[in-house]
Amino acid sequence: MSWFIGVDVGGTFTDFHCLNEATGEAFVHKAPSTPDNPARAIVEGVRAVASRLGVDFQAVRRLAHGTTVATNALIQRKGGKVALVTTKGFRDLLEIGRQVRPHMYALQEDHPEPLVPRHWRFEVDERMTADGTAERALDEPGLALIAKEIEAAKVDAVAIGFLFAFISPEHERKAAEILSAKLDGVYVSRSSEVQPEFREYERLSTTVLNAYLQPVLARYLADLGDQVGKLSEKIQIGINQSSGGLMSISRAHRFPVRTALSGPAAGAVGAIHVARLSQRPDVVTLDMGGTSADVALIRGYATDTAHDRQVGGFPVRLPMIDINTIGAGGGSIAWFAPDGLLKVGPNSAGAVPGPACYGLGGTQATVTDANLVLGRLSPKGLLDGKVALDAAASRRAIEPIAQRLGFSVERTAHGMLAIVVANMVRAIRTVSVERGHDPRGYALMPFGGAGPLHAVDVARALGMREILVPPAPGILCAQGLVVSDLKEDFVRTRRTRLAAAELPAMKSVIAGLAAEAGRWLDSEGVASSEREALLTLDMRYVGQNFELPVRLPSAALPDIEALARLFAAAHEQSYGYANLEAPIEVINFRLTGRAKRAETKSPAAAKTPSSPPAPAGRRPVHFRWEAADNTPIYRRDALKPGHTLSGPAVVEQLDATTLLYPGDTLTVDAAGSLLIEAAS
Amino acid sequence: MTADPITLEIIHNGLRSITDESFIALMKSAYSTNIKERRDHSCAVIDLSGRLIAQAENSLPIHLASMWGLMTAVLAKVKIEDMAAGDIFVANDPHVAGGTHLPDLNMAMPVFVDGKVMAFVCNIAHHADMGGMAPGSMAGGMREIYQEGLRIPVVRLFRKGELVADIFDLLLLNVRVPDERKGDYFAQVAACRLGERRLKEMAQRYGTPVLLEAFDEIVTRTRQRMERAIGTIPPGTYRFADRMDDDGLGMVDIPIVLELTVGNGRIRADFNGSAPEVDGNINLKLNGSGATVAYAIKALLDPDVPNNQGVLDVIDVAAPEGTVVNCAPPAATAARAHVCQRIVDCVIGALAPAIPDRAVAAANGANTTAVLSGIDPTTKQRYVYLETLGGGFGGRATKDGKDGVQVHITNTSNLPVEAIEMEYPLRVESYGLIEDSGGAGKYRGGLGLRRVVRPVGHEAVFSGTGERFRFAPWGLFGGKDGVPGRFQRREPDGSMTALDNKPAEVTLTPNQAVVMETPGAGGYGDPAERAPDLLKRDAESGKFSPAYLSRAYPKGKP
Repeated sequence: MSWFIGVDVGGTFTDFHCLNEATGEAFVHKAPSTPDNPARAIVEGVRAVASRLGVDFQAVRRLAHGTTVATNALIQRKGGKVALVTTKGFRDLLEIGRQVRPHMYALQEDHPEPLVPRHWRFEVDERMTADGTAERALDEPGLALIAKEIEAAKVDAVAIGFLFAFISPEHERKAAEILSAKLDGVYVSRSSEVQPEFREYERLSTTVLNAYLQPVLARYLADLGDQVGKLSEKIQIGINQSSGGLMSISRAHRFPVRTALSGPAAGAVGAIHVARLSQRPDVVTLDMGGTSADVALIRGYATDTAHDRQVGGFPVRLPMIDINTIGAGGGSIAWFAPDGLLKVGPNSAGAVPGPACYGLGGTQATVTDANLVLGRLSPKGLLDGKVALDAAASRRAIEPIAQRLGFSVERTAHGMLAIVVANMVRAIRTVSVERGHDPRGYALMPFGGAGPLHAVDVARALGMREILVPPAPGILCAQGLVVSDLKEDFVRTRRTRLAAAELPAMKSVIAGLAAEAGRWLDSEGVASSEREALLTLDMRYVGQNFELPVRLPSAALPDIEALARLFAAAHEQSYGYANLEAPIEVINFRLTGRAKRAETKSPAAAKTPSSPPAPAGRRPVHFRWEAADNTPIYRRDALKPGHTLSGPAVVEQLDATTLLYPGDTLTVDAAGSLLIEAAS
Repeated sequence: MTADPITLEIIHNGLRSITDESFIALMKSAYSTNIKERRDHSCAVIDLSGRLIAQAENSLPIHLASMWGLMTAVLAKVKIEDMAAGDIFVANDPHVAGGTHLPDLNMAMPVFVDGKVMAFVCNIAHHADMGGMAPGSMAGGMREIYQEGLRIPVVRLFRKGELVADIFDLLLLNVRVPDERKGDYFAQVAACRLGERRLKEMAQRYGTPVLLEAFDEIVTRTRQRMERAIGTIPPGTYRFADRMDDDGLGMVDIPIVLELTVGNGRIRADFNGSAPEVDGNINLKLNGSGATVAYAIKALLDPDVPNNQGVLDVIDVAAPEGTVVNCAPPAATAARAHVCQRIVDCVIGALAPAIPDRAVAAANGANTTAVLSGIDPTTKQRYVYLETLGGGFGGRATKDGKDGVQVHITNTSNLPVEAIEMEYPLRVESYGLIEDSGGAGKYRGGLGLRRVVRPVGHEAVFSGTGERFRFAPWGLFGGKDGVPGRFQRREPDGSMTALDNKPAEVTLTPNQAVVMETPGAGGYGDPAERAPDLLKRDAESGKFSPAYLSRAYPKGKP
């Protein structure tokens, strides 16, 4: 018997999702986080889980971990001291970036200062060119002198980024060798290894971030590895990447920047898993927590991959699940803009002091306070009453706003929720148009603590008919970790015209990537039967400046006509047109190596339970501001597959509350998810 | 009455959602690089009296002028009762149709609800070519708008939903690569129709009367917000004068003179005394001058205020016709952005004594443009590489100016070195900050940028547009001026040849290189007050040489 455990470390709670690999048995656990050393909560949690299950630690086979250590280090600027070595003539590139301001109209706002101060940015004489040849050889004696200066600077890490190193990494490789030999105990990251992809500033920025995070992540991972190792040496630790797959501790150690957005990625993987179990291939996810909401589009059980994101104000060029974040959460604060309009968010009361009703000193009216005064959240509070909520405090917080508006507290609270819903609707619309999709063809999957409370409102505004609430919406990220694959992305930039004559060259690039993936799978001990490769080509029309990723149906390269057709279809989808005559070129070749897990089995259709679900109680809930309906409250665990309900109703569970308006209908499907049909 | 602050916020949110969605739809389906990559386009909702109600978040400040101008021209020409559902108007001409330069193609569509026009959806997109003497319709050297491209007055491109093919044939015959331009036109049409559909959905939900009332209320509240912001400036008259280097056709020292009168929540901008319009293509129409003043006021006072008519309503603009800030036909206008930059400096310069905490010293004040072209020796194809370069941003009341960045009315990104060299037979030898180029001050000005480029294996031709290459970006309150920009050619022996500020067709052989240097910005405050830790950083970073530091800060000890 062996268990997989997914651990998602959040700001307030550390969530555990445990899965018995053989029986499919699963359960969840929640413990307070230990921000000073997140590993402590993890290890204590694993102990608690094991004792609750009555199993030996030896039975735990894999611990999949989503970490925010990198993200927090970046936000708080607590990474290491970094030096940069770059091509002569370009030391300022890291600082200039794309020469733009963050905001058109703000005279006082700048992009953040680079993570490497100018006097630690060193230029070495060398130059590669676009055709892969060296115009100037690497000046090794010069580099030796630079090594001395770096040594004197006493930095923790060095980033190396040369022009065109994504085509010819020889100079970077040699420089890394020399610097590693001369600088004892200093981490070395080079751009041709971190992300060998075209566009020097983004590659450089990603490499510098990697170097910056390395000292912090290395300490943390070493500690985690030690402590988990003490429980059992058999536990394999997988660290979640922003692209939604797991990597080993040793890879995470080399490429910490890949964990920079790992939390939300796990949620999307969990959402795909739930969508599969409920057989809903096209889903818009809405992960609404305390401070923000993450939105992702799932099409055919797959998310899109984005490559350009900002983390802590810096661009990161790495494959990441395409997720959009909006400043709308349970803690979002209501305030008046200078023109007198009421706004909600993006500022949040966070976990501390939190909404006024937490009684931790918060006095500003938040979304959670509005839900509480409208009866939508239970006054008994969250986590089955372990965190009591003070409705009187919520009322006091909302009153000043109500007075200024001349409205009742209920009408004000109702308005606050309408505004936060409008913000989410706007974001989902924008994301959908941007990706070329119409949300009306999708189901909405709300999760996170606050998602299911607002899902029906959001779906209705977008014309979406169906809402799918997962069995454990508050813990979907941890569940996603359990079902994540071991995965690694490899990339080569080779600008190649899409023409029959280029096929051999293209095949050889792919063969090189496949060999690299093979070496990685070997090192991770993945059996050949479990191996899987996905091939994606980034293509564009000749003359365009940006590429479209085109996922190929198999890891074998089809003929040129088929590639052109695939590109045309992707272009049509994204841009609304395709030009069948224009020449096409490939810029990047991407190969994802994956260790497949067993297929997710859809549960058998459920028999209708013999008796309808019984409400656990009733309370007045304001669906309209004018009046409250006496509404039945159901416990989620009383709802069994096959049960149906009609709104008005509230469904409560450990860490999430689902709201049904009058006229909405709910069915519990075979997988235990709630399928809600929104009344039109 | 339903337009309470909550309903208003939700309707306002919905309107911005419409403009943002249209903005993205246009960007995704257009062909022109300017639209796809540099987002040189805008989308808006406009009411029946031509007031701007909502504009997409990422819209460019100068497009505020064209939206406003276009609707004024449409309403002057066509009575609302003569419009039909499915009509779409197009125009681009600065002199008769409210545009600011010809490549910006403006489109407007009436939105019918219950048989009546409820509002207009509009958009603007910068097409890669609008005909005329030179590809791109942006080149200098022309004296009349007739040479710059096709002039389009307000005409219907669609009548009752049907394409007016005769007009479209005429438009497309006059541009280079008509197939691509057709794609741009249709991208704009698609954006109009998406906006129309969404606005109708909103009207269904709220009813026309509620929406119209909300339009009023949104504009009024924004206007009041601006009035309060203007109320923070001591009432009075403020003056400032500055100069453009030249117009590229031999006219030098072109004065821009501004008198701002502030009081009762309004600002009057009077450009009397500014230069007569010039032969070169830097002339601006009055609506462009107004939009630029609005940009500067908004940026100084309240950067987050929504972009709508309320911002424009508090500003009155006056300038004699036939001046460089209110040009008359047939003045050339393609490069009007340069005058915009100088107007921004004038507004800030005038108000600086009144609001010293919010003012900034002069930024690089240019839209430095470089174009290299030639025949690629490998492909034998003609190539044209165009880039606009940032420079220093001015010193501020609490911090230094940013180094190497686009300023004020422009915010377009650079092209990566690796993209340039993969695409064109060019070598970028270096790209960096110009040491010692930021004006000294308590808070120093930002540094300019230097880029050195040479052709590989062929002869190339360089043309450029520089501003603030003669008249340095000024410092404020004792801060020193930034260093002006310049174009030079590096000769085979390493010596430098000075080039014009707006050089045309300079030949470069493979053993020559063009050295482009953009202006550094002015400093803020007395250099003697510069804090020791900042001086230490200036020295340590190497952004300033020891010689410069001891000269500019004789008393300072890092």
